[in-house]
Order: sequence, then structure tokens, then C-alpha cells
Amino acid sequence: MSGAVQFYISTLLVYLAVDVMACWALNLQFGVAGLMNFAFIIFQAAGAYTAAVLTLGSPDASGNFQSYVFGSSMPFPLPLLAAAAVGAVLSLVVGLITLRRLRSDYQAMVMLVVSIIATTVVTNEIRLFNGPAGLSTIPQPLADVLNLDPLDYQWFYVAMSVVICAVVYFFVHRITVSPLGRTLRAVRDNDAAAAALGKDVTRMRMFAFVVGGAIAAVSGAVLVQFIGAWAPGGWLYPETFVLLGAVIIGGRGNQLGSIVGALLLPVGFAEATRFLPPIGRPGLIDALQWVAIGLLILLFLWFRPQGIFPERRRTFDGSGTPNRAWTR
Amino acid sequence: MQASLIVAAVGFGLVTASILAIAAVGFTLQYAITNILNIAYGDVMTACAFAAYVLNASGVNIWVCVVAGALFGAFFSLLLNRFVFTAFLRHRTPLYGMIIVSLGVGLIIQNLLLAIGGPNFFSYDAPSGSTVRLGAIHLTQSQIAIMALSVAIMLAVHLLLRHTTLGKAMRATASNPALARVSGIRTDRIVDIAWMLSGALCGVAGVVLVVNTATFAASTGSSFLVIIIAAAVLGGVGHPYGAMLGALTIGLATELSATMISPAYKDVAAFVILAIVLLVRPQGIMAALRTEATGGI
Amino acid sequence: MIGSALTAQNAAGQSPALLSVRDVHQRFGGVSACSGVSFDVQDGTITGLIGPNGAGKSTMVSIIGGALRPTSGSVLFEGHDVTGKLPHELSRLGLTRTFQTSSEFSRLTVLENLLVAAPSQVGETFLGALRGRRYWLAQERARVGQARELLSRFDMRDKESDLAGDLSGGQKRLVEIMRALMTKPKFLLLDEPMVGVHPDLALRLAEHLERLRDEGVTMLMVEHEMSIVERLCDPVIVMAQGTVLVETPMRQLRQHQAVVDAYLAG
Repeated sequence: MSGAVQFYISTLLVYLAVDVMACWALNLQFGVAGLMNFAFIIFQAAGAYTAAVLTLGSPDASGNFQSYVFGSSMPFPLPLLAAAAVGAVLSLVVGLITLRRLRSDYQAMVMLVVSIIATTVVTNEIRLFNGPAGLSTIPQPLADVLNLDPLDYQWFYVAMSVVICAVVYFFVHRITVSPLGRTLRAVRDNDAAAAALGKDVTRMRMFAFVVGGAIAAVSGAVLVQFIGAWAPGGWLYPETFVLLGAVIIGGRGNQLGSIVGALLLPVGFAEATRFLPPIGRPGLIDALQWVAIGLLILLFLWFRPQGIFPERRRTFDGSGTPNRAWTR
Repeated sequence: MQASLIVAAVGFGLVTASILAIAAVGFTLQYAITNILNIAYGDVMTACAFAAYVLNASGVNIWVCVVAGALFGAFFSLLLNRFVFTAFLRHRTPLYGMIIVSLGVGLIIQNLLLAIGGPNFFSYDAPSGSTVRLGAIHLTQSQIAIMALSVAIMLAVHLLLRHTTLGKAMRATASNPALARVSGIRTDRIVDIAWMLSGALCGVAGVVLVVNTATFAASTGSSFLVIIIAAAVLGGVGHPYGAMLGALTIGLATELSATMISPAYKDVAAFVILAIVLLVRPQGIMAALRTEATGGI
Repeated sequence: MIGSALTAQNAAGQSPALLSVRDVHQRFGGVSACSGVSFDVQDGTITGLIGPNGAGKSTMVSIIGGALRPTSGSVLFEGHDVTGKLPHELSRLGLTRTFQTSSEFSRLTVLENLLVAAPSQVGETFLGALRGRRYWLAQERARVGQARELLSRFDMRDKESDLAGDLSGGQKRLVEIMRALMTKPKFLLLDEPMVGVHPDLALRLAEHLERLRDEGVTMLMVEHEMSIVERLCDPVIVMAQGTVLVETPMRQLRQHQAVVDAYLAG
């Protein structure tokens, strides 16, 4: 396989890993817990930003043209952990304002507002976020330690992303198959009934929201350290809908569904248009892409709202042990 | 900060409030009667602004185009309801799924406009007229016309809701659809009318918004939606009078913060108010002052 | 006069009531739904709460169930003031409420519906979940056993893996009752449990409720169907127009003229 093709495929694999993690996070919030987090993208952006400012060198260093805070040149994996923490804290704050006492579609609407405002603030705060230009020359993790040539580093990054994916899967899977996951789903299906049975609905929702937010942030950190740049324009509110579409289409409440959804929508769809010849004026294909995403979401909501891989029906064997996903 | 600047900001705030009031009342009426939070509303505004642009570009006076925008909005919203929203509701889509439907619709509308019109800014041929001064307040004739139009519309809505049979039927449908149906009200007709009315308000708001801000692009409406939501929530979603109060508050707050803090943070002021309302009183202002036992207009 | 009769009865040496409602008022804006409602529910009884439409029964259910905080007055459970406590707090104290309309967890199986209700699940905390199967499996199997026993008792064992949303109305009602029972309640607040239930099923359900009462569960049941009330409830509280008309043993119900009038008028 030629070097260029390898570069392309390894890049796609990293994007896929990032999107899968993001979809798992959104799936936990939306598919399992029933929270319509229309502000999802800002948590991924926050994680990316955190990783960026912690790995960059000091902003006052001579020759530096960007304005930001920290710049601690932290080594791997600290920026990832910090990103998770930031994602969790941000989710806590947003959740405390929006998740209490509001109807789910109302919540969604408010979170959309949060998302749009966040982008406005970030784009305008030059001191903290370097304004619309964003940050660049973000160093790659372990690059100087390993001293690999560029193609080998790509594959290294793929391997690293897969490992982080596996860690995320561990968390998401254990939560979903446990009694905790079942209670989250119960709260999703009927919160009044769950409360009448002793469940603290707000606490359950906050939990899913915070864990999802932390994972979203980690996915952002993995992405930004690969690309090396971060700009507010890449994290606008419609990006949430690509991921939401992926979760809906792949199958909400199903981790395999999230993988398939991530493959089809953010990765597959975006890449498919790369190979189209440039038709019409610039931006036409992009706009039509969004129309197609909107249509796809509507089509699935009409014909197959449960998605390609619906939520698994949990059964128990004779001794009361829950059956694994692959048994029937 | 000079007092005159603040007073001028109040003037601009009243203009924004006027536009916002028309939009917010439309949004909240739609929710009151259909129980759907329609986040495609902003994109319908843009579509109406576009329709007015096409007409205006071929020489029609902009104020006639406002009427055209209203008609387009009414018709477009009616079609959206008939072919999309009601269809999904009948298809047993749960209410929380409807906001995702409205999201999809909004995405499609906005990007179709982008595909057709291109990533350009469009402007109306709408002379703003001479500036009128009232002390430190400077407003153009256009802006005064917008404010007058808004007041007229608010009065018309008030008269409709309180003093006509149709208005009573709408209020009954809003507060208890099942009961309304049983009492002989044709609730499906009322729903159609509600969509047309809110669509018309949406259209007017879209066109006058552009008259005031001079240019627009495919994303203008959805950006404006942020403060429409803030105003509607502040007043209590589903309460038209609350929406009017909310619009006044948010309109003034955004302009004053733009003057006193920074123009870039206009929307942030609205958001802060929204956050405070959600923390303290999620039902909004009107819920606090409500005298009826049940919900409704 | 009726109020003093009530007090006289209590003074005669009955055991302290498990649930007491004291002078509850509920206003919605300008409308008064309940004025000065007071009654007791004695331990070990199935107490009926009846009355014509608009009597304020649903409001009382919401208040006792914690969904609504009364404008004034108090609710006492086991002697403690629980006014204004949230539904999940009340459930943990042993007071569980069922709903009039279907409230099953539609995308969970019947068995899962019951399992959700089980209290103190070790796998329900973040750390518990992370520690994996090895940690929570034993308790889970025990709970599955309990749930299956209940399902067998109510003849629904074969439906355990069906999604609750696919059940018939009557079956959903049974799932709700079973679910409430998994919380091992001391007190069950039943909101029209027989509505929409097939008469045969209703009969079986009535038998189950009687057995529950014999096992020590106290119940307050709102019900319109008089045949059910006559079979199951003793005593009966009658409400009309936001107040309590009378709290009386079943056999003396028909003797109260006020009650008859209320039903004729309402």
C-alpha cells in the first residue's frame, strides 16, 4: 500500500475512533438516559481546548503569535485526564442549570441556546481562546520521545486511539449492563414512575450527563492532538446533529449501533463527498450534505426510529444471571 | 459612560424588542396550541426574509414585501404542519422526538437556502428614511415604522385572543385539547389556524429583522432564534403576554449590554437572563402572575 | 360534627394511624381543590377513598404521593411529618404510589420493570457498576428470584421477557402493582388500580390485594367501581367538593345521608 493511501486510511481510522467515542458518550446521554444534549459539541470542544492549552508551550515564549492561558507543555497522558476533568465539571455546571425540572424537549432547546452562546463567547474572547483563528502548532503526544517517521507515527496514533477507545468502552459497557444502566433506562422511559419507586431522577440524569461529558472531552483531546489545531469554527452547534444523527441511525441505546452510526455519518458521509468532483459553486456540496443529513434523520425517525441496531432486549437465564449480548 | 449613549441604547433596545415581540409571540403561540417546540422557526424566518428579498429585488416596495413575507410564512408553516409535523405525530412519534423532527426540518430549510442562494449576504432595497430625534434617542423612520407595526400586531393579537370566538377557541384548545374537542371545537382547524397565524408573525418578524439589520444570510434566522427562545422562556413558554414582556426585557438587555459591555456579547446577556430564569423560575414570569387554575393563554 | 366523631373514634384506643392527613388545603391560583382535608389510614387496612368527580381525590393522591406540596396542612407517615417530601424520598420510607395511567417502563422487559424497583441495589452506584458483574451478580440473582416469584404469583411468568410497552392494559396494571410490591412497601397508594382492567383480572387482582393486606401491607385505594370498594375497602373515606364528608367502616357507609346526597348531586 502506498504511503499516501496509508496516510489517508490511518487518518480515517483516528477520526473513526474519535467519532465512536463521541457517539458512545452521546449514546449514554441520549440513548440510555434519554437526555437530549443539543449542546454536546461544546463538551468535545472543551476537551480539545484543554488538551491544546496544556500541551502548548508558554504563551509568552518569544515568537509566539497566539494568545491563550496555561501553556504548560504537559506530557501524555495528563492532557487527556485534564480534558476528562474539564468535561465533567462543565457538564456539572450546564447540567445543574438545565437538567432539573424541565421537560426533555425544553431541555434540548435550552441546551441548543447554550451551544450557540458558547461559540459566540469563545470566538470573541481573544485573550483566552485566540479568537476565531483558534490555536495551532499543538504538539503531538510522545512525538519527541518516540522519534518515529511521520507514517509510523500515524499508525502509532491509530493504535493509541484504539487503546483509549477500549478504555472508554470499558466504562460505557460496564455502566450500561449493570443495574445502574437499567435504572437510567427506566428514568428515560418514565421519570415520574422511577421517582415513585425511589430513584433520584435528577441525580441519575446528572450522572449520565457528567460521564458523557467527560468522554466527549476525551474524544476532543484525542482529535486535537492529532490534527494539531483547534478553532471555534470547527465546533459549531450543527456538529452535534451529525453525531446525534449517527446515534439515531446506528441505533440508540446500542454500542455497536454507535460504531456503525459513526462509520456511516461523520466518517462515511463526510469522506464520500471528498471524492465527488466539485459541482457548482464552492459550498454547494457542503450545504447539500447538510440537507441530506437532515433528510436521513427524518427518514430514520419515520421508518426505523430504533435505528439499525436497536437496543438489546435484556433476558436472564434460569439462575437469574443476565444473558450476554451474544446469547439468545 | 455617557448617559446619552445609554438612552440611545434604550431606543435601539425598543426596536429590537419590537421585532423580538412579533417573533416570540408567534413562537409561543405555536407551542401553546401544538405543544411542539419548533426549532425550525428561525429558519422559516430566514425563508420568509428570502421570499421578501426576491420580491423586493424585482422592485416591490419593502413594506408591501412585509405583507408578502407574512403570507408566505403563513402558507409555508401550514404546509410544514400538514406534511411534516402532523404526519410524524400521527405516526406515533413521541413528543420528545418532535423536537428532533423540527431540528431536521430546520437543517434542511437553512441548507437549501444556502444551496440556492449561496454563502452570500443579501440586502433589501429599503431606504431607512431620515433620522428622528427624541432627546438622546435617534431612530430612523424605518425603525419607528417597525415599532408601530409591532404595537399594532400586539394589539391585534390581544383583541383576537380576548374578544373573538376564534380567540376563545384557541385558548380552549391550548389549555385542554380533549375538552375543547368534546365541546364541539374543530381542534384540527384551530391547529391549522395557529400554524398560519404564527407563520405569519414569523414572516413579518423575519422581514422587519432584515429591514433593521440591513443584511442577512442563510443563518440569520437561526441565530436570532437564540433570543426568541430566551424571550419566550422568560415570559413562560406558551404565554403570549409573557412573550411580549420577555421580548421587552431581552430587547433592552441586549442593547444595553452591547453598549455598556461589548457588542460581541449581545446574545450573552440574553443567555445570562435565561440561565437565571431557569435556575429560579423555569415556568417564566407569566406563570407567577397567572390567575387561571390551568395552563393556557 | 363529623370531625369530632372522628376524634372520638381515635380516642377510643385505636392504634396510631400509619398515614395521617391533617388539615390539608390546596389552592391552584384562584381555585380551591382541597379545603381542610383530614383523615387517617389505619395500619393493616385497605382504606377506600371515594367520591364524585372533582372531589379532590386526585389532588390528595398527588399530595400524599409527593408530587404536589400542599398549600397548607401536613401529611404524617409513621408519626413523622413527611409534608413536601419528594416521591423518591417517600418511596425509601416505605410509601409507594401507583399511577392511574400506564406508567410502565416501555422499553424494558417485564422482569426488568420489577428489578428496577428493588431497593438498595449495589450495582446501581457508579463504583458498583464499574466493579462489574462479579460485584453485583449475586444480589441481582437473588432479586431476579424474588421478581420471578411475584410474576408467578400473578401468572405472568411467561411474559417476563416481553417489553412492557407491548402488554395489554390490564397486564400493564399488574406490572405496576408488582413493581410497587418489589419496593417492599409498608404503605401502597393505589390510584384507581382497576381502571381498564378486565373483570376476571380485576377479581384476581382483588384477591392479591387481600392477601397483601393479610401480609401486613396497608393500602389507600382511590376507586370508582363500587363493587370493588365494597369487596376490598374497610374503612372508607368519602370526599366531595374538596372536603372529607365522612370516614366510616364499610358496613355503615350507606347510613350516611350526606354521602348519598353527594353521589346524587355529583
